[in-house]
Amino acid sequence: MIREGLKTMLSNLGNPYRLEEIDTPLDDLEKLINRLHPTLIMINPLLIPKMITLPRDPESNFNPIYIGLISNGVSTKTKSKFDNLLNLDGDRHELFKTMEKVMQQLGTSQTETDNYTLSERELSILKLVALGNTNNEIADRLFISTHTVMTHRKNITRKLGIKTVSGLTVYAILNQHIKMEEIQGS
Amino acid sequence: MRINKDMKMAEVIHLNHHLLPVLNRFDIHLGFGERSVETVCRDHALNIDFFLEIVNTFHDPSYFPVRHLQSFKASMLIDYLQKTHAYYLDFKIPEIRQNIRQITQEGSLQNSHKKLLEDFFDSYQHELTTHINKEEQRVYPYVISLENTLDNPASTVKELQEIGRYSILEYEEDHDDVEAKLFDLKNIIIKYLPTSKNNKLLNVILHDIFELERDLNNHGHIEDLILVPIVENMEKALRARLNKLSANV
Repeated sequence: MIREGLKTMLSNLGNPYRLEEIDTPLDDLEKLINRLHPTLIMINPLLIPKMITLPRDPESNFNPIYIGLISNGVSTKTKSKFDNLLNLDGDRHELFKTMEKVMQQLGTSQTETDNYTLSERELSILKLVALGNTNNEIADRLFISTHTVMTHRKNITRKLGIKTVSGLTVYAILNQHIKMEEIQGS
Repeated sequence: MRINKDMKMAEVIHLNHHLLPVLNRFDIHLGFGERSVETVCRDHALNIDFFLEIVNTFHDPSYFPVRHLQSFKASMLIDYLQKTHAYYLDFKIPEIRQNIRQITQEGSLQNSHKKLLEDFFDSYQHELTTHINKEEQRVYPYVISLENTLDNPASTVKELQEIGRYSILEYEEDHDDVEAKLFDLKNIIIKYLPTSKNNKLLNVILHDIFELERDLNNHGHIEDLILVPIVENMEKALRARLNKLSANV
């Protein structure tokens, strides 16, 4: 019943992700997380007899958001392992607020007002990507860090709904940001 | 609604016609009359539980009986997965490609855009084919031979050791790139490809892409969440057997 409620809530918030429901033997949980690399994980700690370590590895860019589904009386120590908590004994409004906050953190909330046109900076990065430059090359060229380039690219992908370099190239040509001859030349 | 053995096969199709290609993979053809799912499966010598789990997983992506599915043989799964590969490569992809060719022959797209669309789809097709070939030529043969070696009580230590040199984890590769290209193609057509006419054929293409995507998701789902765990269990069993054998020496 809790699951169904959460599912409905997520879809009300405009969840853009694939949803997996897992009833795994608990000793496989860590392995499963490492394999699937989810963006967000909801776990009820009461269903895990001995609390496992929640896998994360920021070095390799794997840093999922763990949400503990807790009820009154869960220990502070257990709570501290999670990035966010959803109180199952709380009212609907409270749950909704927390989830909305998490979704905003992920940059996916639909309630957030967002401008979907590319900024000047994003446009110049898009062109360079479409012409076949790597993140490092773009960083050098524009005197910004590779990390900043990656952030811009993430935003470009979110705004356009296009993930691959060849997809971005097609977009750039269709919108006459670059010419087809330019790519063949480079 | 869950599909069960007592339903009529015809009802199943009325419930969800997207299951038609799935039935094809089990070599089940139309013309069911009043026969139930159970009867049709029996007529085709199919494992009814396996059939039900596959169609239900496909019918409702949130239905995922991981525990139950793991009791099936890897070879059964691979047979099914191979048939879905054949469906993509021999049927669905050529069908979409054919429609793209036809659309580029009509006058509704600019010349330069035709080439963009065709090239993008061709590179997608190439990536998908490469990915599938790798699975068919390396991953599946490994799994089948692992299963055969384990099933044979007379397998020698040497044979066990030989197959034990491999691991499914080495073969694991995410489907991310292939998936991302298809995702991009959808948005390029929906959002960015300028068309002058109200193009019905483009609707057909888009519809086919959505169907393909859904099918591929289910396929990836089955591989990641069922096949890989089954193989990992077999690998565990293999190590246990080798340990026992070496202890007896």
